[in-house]
Amino acid sequence: MSGNKDSDGGWKTFIWNSEKKELLGRTGCSWFKILLFYVIFYGCLAAVFVGTIQALLLTLSNYKPTHQDRVAPPGLSHTPCPEKAEITFNKHELETYMKYTKGMKEFLELYDETAQLDQLKYEDCGENPGGYKNRGDLESDIGVRKACRFKRSWLKDCSGLEDRTFGFKDGKPCVIVKLNRIVNFRPKPPNSNESIPEDAKAKVRPNVIPIYCTNKKEEDAGKLQEVKYFGIGDGFPLQYYPYYGKLLHPQYLQPLVAIQFTNLTMNTELRIECRIYGENIGYSEKDRYQGRFDIKITVNDS
Amino acid sequence: GHDQYELAATSEGGRKKKRDKKKKDMDDLKKEVDLDDHKLTLDELHRKYGTDLTRGLTSSRAAEILARDGPNALTPPPTTPEWVKFCRQLFGGFSMLLWIGAILCFLAYGIQAASEDEPANDNLYLGVVLSAVVIITGCFSYYQEAKSSRIMDSFKNLVPQQALVIRDGEKKCINAEEVVAGDLVEVKGGDRIPADLRVASAQGCKVDNSSLTGESEPQTRSPDFSNENPLETRNIAFFSTNCVEGTARGVVINTGDRTVMGRIATLASSLEVGRTPISIEIEHFIHIITGVAVFLGVSFFILSLILGYAWLEAVIFLIGIIVANVPEGLLATVTVCLTLTAKRMAKKNCLVKNLEAVETLGSTSTICSDKTGTLTQNRMTVAHMWFDNQIHEADTTENQSGTSFDRSSATWAALARIAGLCNRAVFLAEQSNVPILKRDVAGDASESALLKCIELCCGSVNDMRDKHVKIAEIPFNSTNKYQLSIHKNANSEESKHLLVMKGAPERILDRCSTIMIHGKEQPLDDEMKDAFQNAYVELGGLGERVLGFCHYFLPDDQFAEGFQFDTEEVNFPTENLCFIGLMSMIDPPRAAVLDAVGKCRSPGIKVIMVTGDHPITAKAIAKGVGIISEGNETVEDIAARLNIPINEVNPRDAKACVVHGGELKDLTPEQLDDILKHHTEIVFARTSPQQKLIIVEGCQRQGAIVAVTGDGVNDSPALKKADIGVAMGIAGSDVSKQAADMILLDDNFASIVTGVEEGRLIFDNLKKSIAYTLTSNIPEITPFLLFIIANIPLPLGTVTILCIDLGTDMVPAISLAYEAAESDIMKRQPRNPRTDKLVNERLISIAYGQIGMMQATAGFFTYFVILAENGFLPSTLLGIRVKWDDKYVNDLEDSYGQQWTYEQRKIVEYTCHTSFFASIVIVQWADLIICKTRRNSIIQQGMKNKILIFGLFEETALAAFLSYCPGMDVALRMYPLKPSWWFCAFPYSLLIFLYDEARRFILRRNPDGWVERETYY
Repeated sequence: MSGNKDSDGGWKTFIWNSEKKELLGRTGCSWFKILLFYVIFYGCLAAVFVGTIQALLLTLSNYKPTHQDRVAPPGLSHTPCPEKAEITFNKHELETYMKYTKGMKEFLELYDETAQLDQLKYEDCGENPGGYKNRGDLESDIGVRKACRFKRSWLKDCSGLEDRTFGFKDGKPCVIVKLNRIVNFRPKPPNSNESIPEDAKAKVRPNVIPIYCTNKKEEDAGKLQEVKYFGIGDGFPLQYYPYYGKLLHPQYLQPLVAIQFTNLTMNTELRIECRIYGENIGYSEKDRYQGRFDIKITVNDS
Repeated sequence: GHDQYELAATSEGGRKKKRDKKKKDMDDLKKEVDLDDHKLTLDELHRKYGTDLTRGLTSSRAAEILARDGPNALTPPPTTPEWVKFCRQLFGGFSMLLWIGAILCFLAYGIQAASEDEPANDNLYLGVVLSAVVIITGCFSYYQEAKSSRIMDSFKNLVPQQALVIRDGEKKCINAEEVVAGDLVEVKGGDRIPADLRVASAQGCKVDNSSLTGESEPQTRSPDFSNENPLETRNIAFFSTNCVEGTARGVVINTGDRTVMGRIATLASSLEVGRTPISIEIEHFIHIITGVAVFLGVSFFILSLILGYAWLEAVIFLIGIIVANVPEGLLATVTVCLTLTAKRMAKKNCLVKNLEAVETLGSTSTICSDKTGTLTQNRMTVAHMWFDNQIHEADTTENQSGTSFDRSSATWAALARIAGLCNRAVFLAEQSNVPILKRDVAGDASESALLKCIELCCGSVNDMRDKHVKIAEIPFNSTNKYQLSIHKNANSEESKHLLVMKGAPERILDRCSTIMIHGKEQPLDDEMKDAFQNAYVELGGLGERVLGFCHYFLPDDQFAEGFQFDTEEVNFPTENLCFIGLMSMIDPPRAAVLDAVGKCRSPGIKVIMVTGDHPITAKAIAKGVGIISEGNETVEDIAARLNIPINEVNPRDAKACVVHGGELKDLTPEQLDDILKHHTEIVFARTSPQQKLIIVEGCQRQGAIVAVTGDGVNDSPALKKADIGVAMGIAGSDVSKQAADMILLDDNFASIVTGVEEGRLIFDNLKKSIAYTLTSNIPEITPFLLFIIANIPLPLGTVTILCIDLGTDMVPAISLAYEAAESDIMKRQPRNPRTDKLVNERLISIAYGQIGMMQATAGFFTYFVILAENGFLPSTLLGIRVKWDDKYVNDLEDSYGQQWTYEQRKIVEYTCHTSFFASIVIVQWADLIICKTRRNSIIQQGMKNKILIFGLFEETALAAFLSYCPGMDVALRMYPLKPSWWFCAFPYSLLIFLYDEARRFILRRNPDGWVERETYY
């Protein structure tokens, strides 16, 4: 890119100058020196970089990330979770909902009772909501902690055990909801009823983070009709918390809530919003999955 | 520009023909004025133009000629339409690249808008910002260019409004534009000459040709043909010069563009101005950067398609790479740096008209300087006197700081009396507070010089004149070549009447029979005559104008009181007078010039004198100011010393050379090249405007960057053609100021040295500024490249890149313009424009390959710290991008098993962008400090640059503001950083500082070593 083009005979000589034995304006020796310099330079730079990264890793805890202010309050995620959060299917046509049920099946395999038999890793925490299950400090050397069993069968109609189509074939689709895992996070049930809508108040009970789904848009009122909740206490029971992280809690099963829309208005796109309520549960205007989610469901029956 | 538009319409053949014709026109214009009308007798003139010398043209004939020749006005040069200029600014430089980026942004947004319900506005936003950047930069540059001058405007002002013509035997006052060739025109004192005139009759007419030839003294005009050269002959008066006194009647020989002045104007305006060195450098640099941007952009565009990215994604990558590669703020920074230097120079009396010219002076390798007014004081001053058979030196310095001579001699008293009495010059009224040398005088230059000299040495000349009342006077005329006056003498020891005379020395001597030595009259013998001759030759050899003085006491018996002196009949003796002495005058060099020329020459700048004055005077002044340095001889000098004919002298032996305009006319370009190449000290005398131009072109052919100084219209083509034209602020004509790029407000050559110094400094500092700005390009590009190749979340966004380029980097980059020089820049050779580039591969190697890479590592380290502290360890990041950027994955697992929603992890990503940005700011601290010097240690250089320190704080404050100001998350997607994250880049900042200090240490230790060859930019 130097100005050789007009001085000594154009690009060809610049690329290979046979007189001076120069390739791209440098002799072999010169190329060797500069390349060697850069190899050493980048080698050292890489070493410095790896060194600082190692130093960084030393400052990190194995069990708990340094900052959790961005991941909390937790997100609420659901399965199936298709593109654009739109579930559209024809209850008579298997292919239209196969993709949804397949995802749910795969997700629920984790919760197969046969996988939770190991007594050293799992324990029963009761089928009724209970208080937080403290398993010692994160940093103590107790090692791997036991996980509470969560039986798939508790999801009843939505467990996929009897009805392998999770109600889709009847036009009564299930959605499985989980509260995103956060290390050492203890969700707190709501202590006042102020911020909770009238209809959801019935679902508030001790030791449970209640979840409540309703139509998002005013004009859809009444089209949703009955919503069924399956799971312990129809919400997220506290005995499953806190989570001790991947290292200490490899078998951890987060509690699930299955929601079944049993009487949806057919052939209509319905926007449904589900929210959980709790003292340390927050919502964000921008984040549509923090403490809530909304989903569009269209069931066609023809 | 205009030509191209015209040419585009013509066919290939037509284009060639047109260019040939244009070239021929130019060559024609460069030729000497070819007039022979001055040689014609009035009869021939009458025949040629059909003009009756008493009745003028007939009105009908005049109308015919007007129809044939067109109006008597200068054609304005073709101008480029404003919108074309504006568009050139809008689409030049980096603008094209940024426009492509902006269009791609809009395109991407369009596709997103069409395919998604809720398209992200990022691309729209970015497109608007990019367009705004281009438009604002374009307007800024356009504004700068629009300020530059239009040369023809001032020529227009020169056209006289009215002219008095004689047509059909009647005097008519007509619009000067209607004057035609052949018209009989009358001019009187105070008029502007309406066209080139062949004078037919004149009464005491004098014209001021200074704007044309540079000669400042008014010149007589008469019908006599006195010189072959039309510019010097008495019988031609030129268009747009001034008639100072008297009246004249003449025949118009040329009008409008065909006049001598018109030709110069056309020549000046049709000259193609070469681009300034700095604009060549900037273009070279833009080419490099654009090349890198296009290469990286296209290869990664293809690579991303190969890697299986969608078209839209690939386009967005392309935008990112372009935005990261283009230093958006750099051109504005360069402009601001140049403006700052221009302001600084204006304070030192160098007014810069064309911004880019600021640097040109620094690159200058040859200065062609006019003599009068630039090198000299433009004021005749008595320099030497010869009396008592001895040469006395007078003080010629501007502030009278020189030595004075012995004033006790009686001869001096007599000489002073003659000089004071036989002198028609008078001081203008009300100047008693003004220093004598600065006072305005009515009278010609020599008499003023004498007047001031006597006033300085002997006190009030007015008192002297009061004591010696003037009785009779014969003024100077060209046949007598003397001036004489008779005064009453109050001194009772002498006779009652005193005759004093001054004039051409040889004529005066002829009229004398005695000479005064030490106050005593002695017969004028041959010995004395020889002594006189030697003194005369010696003073003449100094290029000085010599006058002789004599007096005579008229005997009281013949000339009693009340005697009627008759100057027509001359009833008194004018022979056998008493010779007193000689006084010689010169326009002395300015005090500071000798030093300034020395300062120019020590760094290898060649100073050439180009003057309209006589060779002897020119050579004397050249020796006086050091243009011909002591001990250097011309061919003629050698010949004289060795006493051999000139053609036997080897021209290579003579370093100095004085070339007469007459010789120059006959030289081929090769011969001229030869002269310019082989002589280091050259003086061109008696040069015409066209020759000045040829000299400049000759120098440019040698590869030199040429500065020309000048003040007259005659200099304007050379000023325009020069790489940098320097006009004089006080004495300069408007036209020369218009043609110039720079104006010396104090007319002092020494100011040029300041300009050279500033120009060199700004070139160095621009290098530093560009090195600083370019460095941050690497930490801007690498995030994109790794994002594409390693599939990690994007470490730095396009908005944050713009925040660096247009925000935090700006003030520090500009502050480098205030950096003091590292060493004595006036000891360096002028830079070689072919090899010493503003941006070279070594600068790129340092900025991109070394410092930039360290900065990028710093940025990535911070990025990894933030992600790791939030739960995403570096090992989990590879390949995570697909899920990371999927809006519908809201349970993305991190290294601790936590699950993240899309928005949550995006906030972390944006926090990473912010911290990457903050890291760049922090490593740029170190970069700024290392860019302060290219060779010295910072310890040697110090931190005296207050603006730079301000810049450090400013960029930090701006970064903190962008990070912490509420609302920035929405506006720029920048999030508050935790205090500890600011410190991640510190070790790297230190590393950069130490690395570069070490590099510069080795560089200083091993001059010309490998480190210098590879890294000294």
